[in-house]
Amino acid sequence: MAGQTRSNEAVTLSETATVSDSLVPRAATAAVWALFLLSLGVLALTAWERGGWSVLDLFVVDGLTAVVWTVVTFFSGIVHSYSRRYMAGDRYLEGYFGRIFAFTVVVMTMTAADHVVLFVAAWLAMGLLMASLIGHEREWAQAQAAAGTARRYFLASSALLAAGVAILGWTTGATAITRILQQAQQIPRLALLAAVCCLFLAATIQSALFPFHTWLLSSMTAPTPASALMHAGFVNAGGILLTRFAPLLSGETLLMSAIVVVGAFSALLGQAMLLVQTDVKRKLGASTMAQMGFMILQCGLGFFAAAVTHLVLHGFYKAYLFLSSGEAVERTTPGVGKHTESSLARVGVSLLTAIGGGVLFAVLTGKGTELNSGLFLTFVVVLTTMHATRDILRRAVLLPWLRLVSVPVIVLTAIGAYAALFNAISTIISGAPMSEAPTELTVVHVALAGLFTGAYLATELGWHRSSERLYVALLNISQPDPDTILTRKEEYDDA
Amino acid sequence: MTLEPDALTDSIDRAAETVGTVWPLHSFVTANPLAGFEDDPFHRAVAEAEQLFGGRGYPHPSVFRQAWENGQIDPDVLAAELDAHDVSGEPETLLEEMTAAESGRQAETDAAAETLDRVLSKWLAAFLDQGQAQWSMPGRDQGFYAAWRDLVPHDDEVPTCEDPADLPESPTTALETVLSEYPQGRWEALFEHHLAALPGWTGFIKQRADGHAGPWQEAYPVSLLEYLAVRLTLADLLDAPVAPDEGEGEADETAGTGDEDVPLPEMWLTAWEKSYRARLLDHIDRGATASQSTDDQRPTAQLVFCIDTRSEVIRRHVEAAGPYETHGYAGFFGVPMRYKAYESDVEVDACPPIVDPQHRVTERRRSDTDARKTPRDWWSQLTTAGRKHLKSLKTNVAAAFTFVEGGGSAYGGAMAARTLFPSKVADVSGAIDDWTPDPAEICRPTVDRCADPEGDEALPQGMTLAEKVSYAETAFDLMGWEEFARLVVFTGHASETTNNPFDSSLDCGACAGNPGGPNARVLAAICNDEDVRAALRTRGFDVPADTVFLAGEHNTTTDEVTLFDGHVPESHATDLERIRDDLERARAAAAAERTESMPGSDRADAVRDTERRTADWAETRPEWGLAGNASFVIGPRELTEGRDLDGRAFLHSYDWTTDPDGEALEAIVTGPLVVTQWINNQYYFATVDNGVYGSGSKVTQNPRGNVGVVQGNGGDLMTGLPLQSLMAADDQPYHQPLRLTAVIHAPVDRVTDILRDHAEVAELFDNGWLSLTVVNPEQDEEAFHYQGDLEWEPQVREPLVH
Repeated sequence: MAGQTRSNEAVTLSETATVSDSLVPRAATAAVWALFLLSLGVLALTAWERGGWSVLDLFVVDGLTAVVWTVVTFFSGIVHSYSRRYMAGDRYLEGYFGRIFAFTVVVMTMTAADHVVLFVAAWLAMGLLMASLIGHEREWAQAQAAAGTARRYFLASSALLAAGVAILGWTTGATAITRILQQAQQIPRLALLAAVCCLFLAATIQSALFPFHTWLLSSMTAPTPASALMHAGFVNAGGILLTRFAPLLSGETLLMSAIVVVGAFSALLGQAMLLVQTDVKRKLGASTMAQMGFMILQCGLGFFAAAVTHLVLHGFYKAYLFLSSGEAVERTTPGVGKHTESSLARVGVSLLTAIGGGVLFAVLTGKGTELNSGLFLTFVVVLTTMHATRDILRRAVLLPWLRLVSVPVIVLTAIGAYAALFNAISTIISGAPMSEAPTELTVVHVALAGLFTGAYLATELGWHRSSERLYVALLNISQPDPDTILTRKEEYDDA
Repeated sequence: MTLEPDALTDSIDRAAETVGTVWPLHSFVTANPLAGFEDDPFHRAVAEAEQLFGGRGYPHPSVFRQAWENGQIDPDVLAAELDAHDVSGEPETLLEEMTAAESGRQAETDAAAETLDRVLSKWLAAFLDQGQAQWSMPGRDQGFYAAWRDLVPHDDEVPTCEDPADLPESPTTALETVLSEYPQGRWEALFEHHLAALPGWTGFIKQRADGHAGPWQEAYPVSLLEYLAVRLTLADLLDAPVAPDEGEGEADETAGTGDEDVPLPEMWLTAWEKSYRARLLDHIDRGATASQSTDDQRPTAQLVFCIDTRSEVIRRHVEAAGPYETHGYAGFFGVPMRYKAYESDVEVDACPPIVDPQHRVTERRRSDTDARKTPRDWWSQLTTAGRKHLKSLKTNVAAAFTFVEGGGSAYGGAMAARTLFPSKVADVSGAIDDWTPDPAEICRPTVDRCADPEGDEALPQGMTLAEKVSYAETAFDLMGWEEFARLVVFTGHASETTNNPFDSSLDCGACAGNPGGPNARVLAAICNDEDVRAALRTRGFDVPADTVFLAGEHNTTTDEVTLFDGHVPESHATDLERIRDDLERARAAAAAERTESMPGSDRADAVRDTERRTADWAETRPEWGLAGNASFVIGPRELTEGRDLDGRAFLHSYDWTTDPDGEALEAIVTGPLVVTQWINNQYYFATVDNGVYGSGSKVTQNPRGNVGVVQGNGGDLMTGLPLQSLMAADDQPYHQPLRLTAVIHAPVDRVTDILRDHAEVAELFDNGWLSLTVVNPEQDEEAFHYQGDLEWEPQVREPLVH
């Protein structure tokens, strides 16, 4: 016996290196990419045909369906492929892949469902699967508590949705969403309001808007890629729900204003909560809450296509940040505090660029060219462009000419890329019952524009820093459910 | 009255000994999490720690079962071990017995105490944040207690406090107020209990408060006294128990003293370790050292690697690739420096934590390089500016929304590329690396003593000639060198990974979790210094004129060795070319060996697979680090040359014949040996309880405050290595949890003398934190096992049945 060769001797470790490779992950990943290709095909078809196909009153495949299918299968495909390596060796690997794949199929079903029962069932299944992913670590009490919290929220949202569509079905006698929408005018006003409120509440729970954000901020017990899927493919179902039922909402100016207010509040609160967070994933959670608020706000302005575009782009952004969350430990030194010296010339350049950005945005997307709620969106673009320009001009390490060149390049490409996608999505989903129905410009919109400006100035000038009360309030409002926090590490599962 | 504060701080200091120090994750310093218990025998220490932290002290019975079934535990050794403790019973029955005892492990919890932990961890996370939050906790510069006192009235989770004035003004008064109900004799136990409640955070505070005051501690001071003041005041406000249950602390009495209390798992573990030791000693070539190889030809090159277990693999393959000698030396190359890298504005202590840095060393642009900006400068300025710009947009209350819409597509594209084509991403980042010169090519470390505008007396910039000579001399002394090749390469090491909060745990442990290249470059510069060589000559180290020292860095993720060869003279060009080729071949062979043990690796193209791992954001096991470490061999390479130790052994070069007075061995035993014990204990405890002494699965980790990670939604700071650094799969350990087996090649008496002089080291062996075997060259290479109390037992050499 040769003692030199690698053998089963105790000095070597090699016998432990083999890990069984299950078929489930491989098959699920292949299947989800196949679904992506299929969705691309459907997308091309709907873009060509500009219509929808109805199947037995159960399904309707229209532009909105195709866009969401494509996006969801893309996110899911990325998450599947990423998890093949990231989750290797996990105890519940097969169950995990089973769930994320089932989740994908359920979301696809939900976006194509025309029959109300199917729609509600898919909505419920989607929530239960997501809750189960939050509780992926079966033996970890805090993960189970987080799953329980999420499940309670999702059951409530499903119940509200069920109540809403029940009222609609009852009053119209229809079971298909498309038919309900066609017969909307025969619904008694009170019933319609009640139904729409139910739907809206269901959407706000799903999208984790204030005051229903706690489930989202308690969900970090989920494996990282499952969180990516949640933030890119689950929370935005609120926007899809509102877009599906848009014809019921768009006539109601008061209701639309309420939606705008609720969305805007979450948007600003989420961004404020983000400021005080010290851990990466909760930061991302607060940001999602804010972005979903903005998406709902866009719905309330009547720009449903813009909301869909936003949920797609936010999905890219947030999924990326979750998947790269391990990059966030860096060696730092205490900052010397931000000081914002601004010369008059810079303010001038920033303002001019901002207005230019706004005009470009309006011309390319058509939003804000008329006197309606679209002006608000254009205004936000102006604010952002101004901030971006000021920030670039402040970067003293870059040469002056580089700063001057990068401003238009960055602003142009960013707005151009957005406009291209927005226009594409608008065109494709124009076949859906309603993609764009700007409301008239009301005092609410003007007030909100003022609020956004105020918030912008306040944070730029550091006014918020003087309030200890605000700091503590933001810190506390962003706390997860108490039962989901691991304070005793022996409770962490390592069975 | 004046005695009071002293009594207070004394009891805090004593209580704090049980708290394992926790370093910020970006400089992962190795430490035994139970360092405070090292003056107790191992089994008693882990029992005490279990009482305090709830952590397990021995491998789970299923791990023993696996080892037993795989034949890693020799039945005869086990039988002897059980016999020695008068334990009877079949191994199977004993395994079942241990498994049955598992169900008894249950921690009870108190609701008010849980609220206390939760509220406190919220405030600790806010206070100890290092730049993650845009709006950090107000008033931090006043210290933890004062800042908290100002804010707590606004905290609706603490409803009983309305006004800061209700609370004592200073932390000391706050503590005294709460403690007034308790006799002084109980303070220590009480503090111990509260410090153990959130051991991650308290360990971190301990490090901040007693390490050299870093910039964060200077700006926002915190201490364990302040922690306790806040905690006990909060306990009072929340009506949580202040004094521990009477039941706690009884472990000592039940544990008893003497030998009869040795638990069953200790016997199994010892048997497993002894089985490993027996095989290791069989593996070691005890014949080769008899003929000291002085007749050999001068080697083409001598390469010095870190004692790190990963060096064992690459050294074998380098030796196989050509006429090279390799040596093992602590990876900070004996240079205790505080180092500031090019383009960096933070200083790091690039030496093990048992050594205090003595010099400041900074990278300065070489005068002979083009003073203009290189592509590297452009690139790093552009990327830094870009990153800051994105951060500013992401976090802005109004701009974040449009930013997401404008930038979303780019994120989508990057996400697809990084997930679907990780190898291509590795190529691109490699191309960028090639285009941007390495700092080592354009910079030079400030080795010479020079006046430093910002320097202080205690830590001067650079070193004097005498200091330089002593660093070079120590290196050659410890390794027992007498001859020098034409090329001598000091090879530091560093890992290369992405999306990995634990990247510094894969860097050089001897450099406190930093890359070892800079230290190697400093020592090479020292040895090339003509004045140093002249001084060395007078001390008996005759370095030939044609010997050139150069530095390199071993990339432990890819096994690539980069040589920093900027100043190698023309005369050595062919040598250099040859060594470069051979290193490339060694790398391929080492990578192939490594990928065999990596789950999910592409074994057909090992080099490419390791390159993919450096840049793959979905990779949780980019490399195995020091997992598997089990032994430390101190002796000449002849002992282990040509033997496959599977990357499980630390190797330090030592020649007993060149060290008549044992000074070199003393330095190795009190320095590197202690550090390897820390590393080994860290891997051991993180493996046996990955939740309490490790940081759990990377899959559910959440980086917090630039200081560490938490699990899921947070709470206590997780410490130690993650599951993926230790386990091939959730239920399949890769690292075998064995305490270190040290093997020294030297006369027994010499080792006995060293242990007699260093009670603190002898105590580690006496208490069973690691074991020691001496291979005695004066007695026919017989092995002697250390029995404690300076006693030795000769190894019973069984006839090898082959």
